[in-house]
Amino acid sequence: ETSSHKQIPESYNYTQYHPMEEIYTWMAQIQKSNSKLVTQHYLGETIENRTIYYLQISQPSDKTKKIVWMDCGIHAREWISPAFCQWFVKEILQNYDSDPKIRKFLQNLDFYILPVLNIDGYIYSWETARLWRKKRSPHMNGTCYGTDLNRNFNSSWGTLGVSYNCSSEIFCGTGPESEPETRAVVQLIERKKSDILCYLTIHSYGQYILTPYGSTTEPPSNNDELVHVAQTAAAALTEKYGTSYEVGSTSSILYSNSGSSRDWAHMIGIPFSYTFELRDKGTYGFVLPADQIQPTCEETMLAVTAIIDYVDQKYFPGGAMMLTSGSLGLSLCLTAVLTLIVP
Amino acid sequence: MPGLRAALPAALLLLSSFPPAAAKQPPWPWVPGVMHALNPSDSQASAAARTALHYSNYHGASPSRLRALHQVLKATVKAIPEVGMKYYMHFTTEDYITGEDAGSCLATVLYLKKSPPQVYIKCTHTQDKKQIHEEDNRFYQYLQHRKKPIIASNIPDSYGNIDRDHLALWGLAIAGSSCIMWERSREKLAYFVAQVKAVKQWIRKDSAVEFEFMILLHETPTQKIDLCHMHLIWILGHPLEVKYICTSDSHGLEDGSGQDSGSAAGMFHGKEGNF
Repeated sequence: ETSSHKQIPESYNYTQYHPMEEIYTWMAQIQKSNSKLVTQHYLGETIENRTIYYLQISQPSDKTKKIVWMDCGIHAREWISPAFCQWFVKEILQNYDSDPKIRKFLQNLDFYILPVLNIDGYIYSWETARLWRKKRSPHMNGTCYGTDLNRNFNSSWGTLGVSYNCSSEIFCGTGPESEPETRAVVQLIERKKSDILCYLTIHSYGQYILTPYGSTTEPPSNNDELVHVAQTAAAALTEKYGTSYEVGSTSSILYSNSGSSRDWAHMIGIPFSYTFELRDKGTYGFVLPADQIQPTCEETMLAVTAIIDYVDQKYFPGGAMMLTSGSLGLSLCLTAVLTLIVP
Repeated sequence: MPGLRAALPAALLLLSSFPPAAAKQPPWPWVPGVMHALNPSDSQASAAARTALHYSNYHGASPSRLRALHQVLKATVKAIPEVGMKYYMHFTTEDYITGEDAGSCLATVLYLKKSPPQVYIKCTHTQDKKQIHEEDNRFYQYLQHRKKPIIASNIPDSYGNIDRDHLALWGLAIAGSSCIMWERSREKLAYFVAQVKAVKQWIRKDSAVEFEFMILLHETPTQKIDLCHMHLIWILGHPLEVKYICTSDSHGLEDGSGQDSGSAAGMFHGKEGNF
């Protein structure tokens, strides 16, 4: 089975939860068997000195592409989140040959996928405390651990829905971007922000697609469009298995909070910034059964591709014409005619 | 001038019928006694609906009939001065365990500052009452007749699995935990059962069924995981008798280690029945 150059490691089970070592191996293997499309990049290091990698899925081309960013695993206990990032990568690569829509996306868009941001916390939730949320930074001489990375970004940092006490699950850290993991994400996104059209961050649970902001009830400048696209995405999701998602700003349908990565992404100018809260609504909560990984990922895939589709159509309209040989012939004719007309 | 003199009292009369300009109306919802409609997707509406369901699940005293919120259809809120906020809701529900449609409910929830919320709730029955009663009875008989106490931990486990044999036990844990969650709910504090960490049965000579549980509750928006030690006595057809204490109730754990769900959970690893 080495004939196809779009190989997914056969033995990897996407319908199970994987510990961090397996995710590291998976990333390396994915790059190795899809080297034309996938590059594994170094993002930074965690406080416990573990390397953070993201995967870039990019169709080889001369042109500079715009970017869709998706990160998973900011909160350790939300295991369905890294599972979705892995699923997403698998779907894109597996269906690249057969799905013209994916090839169309990749004409003008690169996908940057970060499967696990809070690596130390994720490992801790596997080895020690399943319901750990934060990262594992020591404070107060090692008597207290962990900043909530999703309160640590520089978006009205430290104002609402946070605690300044390390023992709290929503401890925002000693200052905005005090954590190396936060800084690693910020540095990359800052550098590329003029090319990033879409910032997605995946969490659980609750079944929401959340729009900016959490740190204020003031709506973002492109609120109508953001909400409209999110509603389209939620509708696409519901069609699969009837799962219902709510759409709205974090501050109105969830609770106020400052320092979130999604707020920060929008504030620095990334137009389509969303937080996903995946299944379920509290029955299993963080310990979502593995038999729900597949349906959750399948339905979420529809929502995410609806958003990417909108972004693609908005910034690269009419690209679809180039894909079929018929229209290629047509455009060749047109080019020939134009070169005759235009001296 | 005669016209002005006549106009002045009329003007004063007119002015006095309006509230003085300086005393602005407070922004809603603090206008006392006035009902304000809420957007059904408003987080407060869902939270209030869930509070009502905790109350209902606890007072139902039935591990086989537990409801979870499906969707809020309509919600209004009223400020009751000196007392608290009262929510009026109409919402649909689903079976907690199977996810099947479980009918709709009308409920009111009055959140108080320092006591459990006052709840009134009435639900339609789509589930077969007879079947539920039979299931409860079957489970009750099974528990009553055990010679060896049931001892279990991590329901669900880290991967979300629940043994078939433990499903009803999970239901009983949720029914009991609903007492804790209802009593602790406040307007800005909501609860979910995150995990049943440990359970141990105490065999009794009389007809009652007795259990000790360690329950992990997820609190929002603080995101805290609270560990509660719950003692439950169940006599079929009677209200559940629930006594509990949670780590957040104890000031001795202020140093933060008690809040760490890691260390609390660590107490029960491999120590089933030893509490």
